[in-house]
Formats: sequence, structure tokens, C-alpha cells
Amino acid sequence: MAGAFKAPIVAALAVAPRHVELVIEHPELSMAAPGQFAHILTPGMLRRPVSFSRIDPQRGRAGLLVQVVGQGTAWLAERSPGEWLDVLAPLGRGFQAPDPARPWILVGGGVGIPPLYSAWERWGPQHRAPACAILGAREADGILMAGDFQGAGLLPVLATEDGSAGRRGTVVGPLEEWLARYPEAQVMACGPNGMLAQVSRVAAGATGPVQLAMEQRMGCGIGACLACVVPATPVGPEGPRYRRVCTDGPVFFREELAWSWI
Amino acid sequence: MDLSVRLPRGLTLKNPIIAASGTFGFGPEYARFVQVNRLGGISVKGISPEPWRGNPPPRVWETPSGLLNSIGLQNPGLTTFLEEDAPFLRTLDTVVIANIIGHTVEEYRTVAAGLQNEPAIHAFEVNISCPNIKAGGITFGHDPDAAYHVMRAVRSVTDKPVMVKVSPNMADPWTVAEAVVEGGADMISAINTVIGLAIDLKRRRPALGGTTGGLSGPAIKPIALRVVWEIAQRVSVPVIGMGGIQSAEDVLEFLMAGARAVMVGTITFQFPQRMEEIIDRLPLVLAHYGFRSLEEAVGAAWTSRTADGAEGGE
Ligand SMILES: Cc1cc2nc3c(=O)[nH]c(=O)nc-3n(C[C@H](O)[C@H](O)[C@H](O)COP(=O)(O)OP(=O)(O)OC[C@H]3O[C@@H](n4cnc5c(N)ncnc54)[C@H](O)[C@@H]3O)c2cc1C
Ligand SMILES: Cc1cc2nc3c(=O)[nH]c(=O)nc-3n(C[C@H](O)[C@H](O)[C@H](O)COP(=O)(O)O)c2cc1C
Ligand code: FES
Repeated sequence: MAGAFKAPIVAALAVAPRHVELVIEHPELSMAAPGQFAHILTPGMLRRPVSFSRIDPQRGRAGLLVQVVGQGTAWLAERSPGEWLDVLAPLGRGFQAPDPARPWILVGGGVGIPPLYSAWERWGPQHRAPACAILGAREADGILMAGDFQGAGLLPVLATEDGSAGRRGTVVGPLEEWLARYPEAQVMACGPNGMLAQVSRVAAGATGPVQLAMEQRMGCGIGACLACVVPATPVGPEGPRYRRVCTDGPVFFREELAWSWI
Repeated sequence: MDLSVRLPRGLTLKNPIIAASGTFGFGPEYARFVQVNRLGGISVKGISPEPWRGNPPPRVWETPSGLLNSIGLQNPGLTTFLEEDAPFLRTLDTVVIANIIGHTVEEYRTVAAGLQNEPAIHAFEVNISCPNIKAGGITFGHDPDAAYHVMRAVRSVTDKPVMVKVSPNMADPWTVAEAVVEGGADMISAINTVIGLAIDLKRRRPALGGTTGGLSGPAIKPIALRVVWEIAQRVSVPVIGMGGIQSAEDVLEFLMAGARAVMVGTITFQFPQRMEEIIDRLPLVLAHYGFRSLEEAVGAAWTSRTADGAEGGE
């Protein structure tokens, strides 16, 4: 279930240059699951979709880690504790819970990292098999929540394109190494489409489920307008079938997406 | 104040606020946020005989006070609609309008015939005005003769109330309205989206996957009001107005321009409960501007124009 409600901001933290994490509170947020999102009212014509960066079901709290890219996110970054956000939440199909006995690889790029942290926060404590978080960004400032992963018992592998933090390069190198070691691993990834396409390609031989959290421009956010589609399987002679990120996703299994059309 | 609206062929709305086609899915999507049965009606997403895949993404782009979309009428087709969507619609206690689309006159007839015996559907809205598909649709909507033939084909297979949705993307939209009334239309709905374009600076190409799109939202309200004004004074059938409605005051403007009822689209994305708020406030707003009934407001701007000594209305 999801609701339309106003939730107070209980914390607002500048976590990196141009990145703010807001924590909001409302009983409906107890139902939130990793990979789901909130559709947030801002001064623009459309709401802004933002994934949950952390979820505290006991207190009905959820985090929203926002990168400032335009007017809506700039407005969000200016909010302070005590103000309210008007949200539709929790929305969408989140990550399917990982198998605790199977190796688990989390791959996040930039603002794709927050939903993966919420997955680790939720399922990490019960996980018995090896696990690894690979966090990538163009430069060190874009690597988010590395400290949160560490605090939750998982030292992340970092990769930056300019080499300013961790390894120089993309998340693909570390992902290939982990998959070579644990070919049966399950993978969860979120990040720019280019990164997800590479993850999808590299993980093609993996025997475990590969879940990818997608982004698309949205209208309603709740499945009514068919704005937010991504090319999906099956691909017919005239092209792919289009599925909604807001309700069929944001999280899709690798096989569900028609990568050659994205 | 009684907000009910009597329309042709016994169709009665409990109030004049209808959810606009394409912005309200097939009904259940918003049922978690909106008391659907409080609405005067809902017009469902356009339905074609076979499934349509729609346009490639991105399909929406925000513009100042507006929304540009190129959904391309993605829909599951008539058979799936009847199997999967009609059962929910049958449970609703509000007027359900089927928005119908086709590439050919025959396809419009097929959808209307296929829904004629479906109890969930109380009326048809023939969409000959969507700017987002290449064949069919708007090519009928911009040609009074073609529009007449689409309407005749639909009329030949149904005795349910039929409205035809008119495009604002032509100089004289009333010629199409007059033609479809001649062809048997019981009502006119106006307007569909205004054709437009946005450029994505970063990608150096049109922002939308469908290249051009249809503009909706507050940006188009003056365009919509003018079209409703022109049509309502020329045809004898009721006009359902829409385009950029955000408030009960906006609804009153449409009523005074000559609409009997309205549809509300884009604003629902921002404020799912806005239609209910409008229904709650409408009696107050009508009273505030000196109207004792809904009926009294319909076309009220025509006579006052005469009263002011300006050129007369009808
Ligand atoms: C399911 C989902 C989860 C997301 N989670 C996060 C998150 O956790 N943190 C975060 O910082 N960002 C996230 N985003 C991206 C975020 O929605 C956009 O950055 C934001 O909408 C930009 O708004 P703006 O007004 O600042 O930018 P503008 O470019 O001015 O926005 C103009 C329009 O384009 C849309 N838009 C622009 N970029 C995107 C995008 N990448 N995806 C979808 N719509 C876009 C806006 O919503 C708006 O309608 C997520 C997107 C989706 C779809
Ligand atoms: C995303 C979207 C999808 C639409 N789909 C349809 C449709 O399937 N059939 C139709 O007749 N009109 C469709 N429309 C047009 C609306 O019904 C309405 O005519 C238009 O948006 C103007 O009203 P508004 O400004 O209140 O949105 C669509 C509009 C939008 C924004
Ligand atoms: S945003 Fe409307 S269907 Fe996904």
C-alpha cells in the first residue's frame, strides 16, 4: 500500500558537495522497502522521484539522499528540519530480498548508491555468505554513503574514473573480479544507464538473480500515465514492449530489460 | 447546491468534475489516493482494437506551467481491456467513459462495437485529436469530413452517449465540432493537448522520444477556454471543457465560457486529491460569484458580454 501524505523532515544533512540527505517521518514509511521511492512535491509542474537511502520501520522514518541537478532538487536541498514534504510513498517494486546463503554483490554509481545502502541495511545483518559493495563515481565527491556501509559492517570497494578515491576506473573491474570468484553470486545494481548496461553485460553469465534499479522521467509516479517506461522484453518485430519504472520497477531483473533498445 | 449534470441519452454526472483520459489510467491506479466514486466520472486511457506499444521514452518533459508528453497511446487493446480492466470499472459508482482510438474508421467502429455491451462503460469519448500518433487519430481530427465519417461509424454500432474530443491544433476547431454533431455526436469534449516541441540541450536533440509532443497543464488554459467558447456558441450539444484546470475558479471559467462539465488531467499528477477539493469548493465559488446553481453559470460570460454593450454572443 502507499499513501499521499505530508511528512515532517526530522533531519537534513549535507553529505557531500551538492548532496543532501533528508530524513522524513510518517507511519506509512514503516512499509517502505529497499528500492522503492517517494514521489515528492516541489515547486515544478511534476513531482520528483527519489529512492529511499535508509529505512527505519520502527520509527516510520526514511532517508532521501538528493543530488542537486536542477530546480526541484535544489529546492529539496534547501529544506530544513521542521519543514514538511508532501509525498506519495512508498511507491514501486523494490528489490527482491537476497538469498542469505548466496554471495551478494551490490553495485552503486553516484546517486544510485543510496537504494543499495538501504538494501544492505535491511538484509545485511542476516546475510551469511560473502558480500561486497562496489561503489563508483566520476570523482571522490560522488561516492556516497561509504561511511554508512562501513558502519554497517561492510567495507566497500571504491572506484573513481579520475582515481581520486579507491581504484581508478569504473565499477566493472571489481565486479568482474567478484563474479569470477563467486559465479553463483546475486547482484543488485543502481546507477546511470551506461553503468547498468555494463553490469548487465558482465553479469550475463552469473547464475544468481541480477536486479537493476532503473530511472526514467515520470508523470504520475503511480502507474496511471505510462510516461516512465523503459524498453523491456519480449522484443517483437516492431520493437520492445514498454514497461513502467514507477510500478513495474524501478527494480527489474536483468532478463526483463531490452538493453539493446535502452 | 446541487452539482449534478444532466447530459444526453440519460447520462447524469453527480458533479461536473471528470478525470481526463490518459491521466487517470484505467481507474484502479489512483484508487489508493482518490475516492474515485466522489468524481463526476472518469475517462479511461485511449483504447484501440489491438495493443499499441506507444512511443520510445522519454515520454514527458516539464515546461513552464506545462507538461509536454508523447506517450503515443500505449494501451493493452480492446480484448485485454475487457478481461483485465473492465471488471474493476464495473464496481465503480461513477460514470465511466471509454476513450477510443484507431488508425482507421473501421478501428474506431471495432472498439465502439466491442464495448457497446460492456456494462462498465457508460459513454464514449472518440479521440480524433491526439497529436502523438502518426496514422489515424489527429488526421481525422483536422478534417471535418473525415471526423464526420468516424462519428457515423461509431454511431452505427452504439446507442450509448458519444462525445468527440476536439483538437486545438487547427485554426477553426468548430468546423470539426459542427461536422461530428451532424454525424450524430451527443457531446463535444475539448481540448486535447496542444502540439509542441522541446529541445534537450545536453543531448542536442528533441527532448521527447516521439520528437514532438502534446502540451497540457495551466499553460494551455487560455487556448482551451477560447476553443470551448467558440464551439459552445456554435453547437447545440453540451461541451465538456478541459485544459489546464487547477481550481474551482478555473472550472467556473470553463462553465462561463459554455462548458456543462469539465475534465481535469495534468494537475492530478501533482495533487491527486485536487479533483475532490475542487468538488468541495465549487459550490462556494459559484455562490461567491453570485450563481444560485451550476446551470446558471453555463455560458454566463456570453450574456454578460452583451450586457456590457460589447458584441453579442448568441
Ligand atoms: C525511481 C527513481 C529514483 C531516484 N532516486 C534518486 C535518488 O535517490 N537521489 C537523487 O538525487 N536522484 C534520484 N533520482 C533522480 C531524480 O528524480 C532527478 O534528479 C530529479 O527529478 C531532478 O529534478 P530537478 O528538478 O532537480 O532537475 P530538472 O532537470 O530541472 O528536472 C526536470 C524534469 O526532469 C525530471 N528528471 C530530471 N532528471 C531525472 C532523472 N535522472 N530521473 C528521472 N527524472 C528526471 C524531473 O523529475 C523533472 O520532471 C531518481 C529517479 C528515479 C526515476
Ligand atoms: C500523459 C497524458 C496522456 C494523455 N492521454 C490521452 C489519451 O489517451 N486520450 C485522450 O483523449 N487524451 C489524452 N490526454 C489529453 C488529456 O485528456 C487532456 O485533454 C489534456 O491533458 C488537457 O487537460 P489538462 O491540461 O488538464 O491535462 C493525455 C494527456 C496527458 C498529459
Ligand atoms: S509515471 Fe505515470 S505510469 Fe509511471
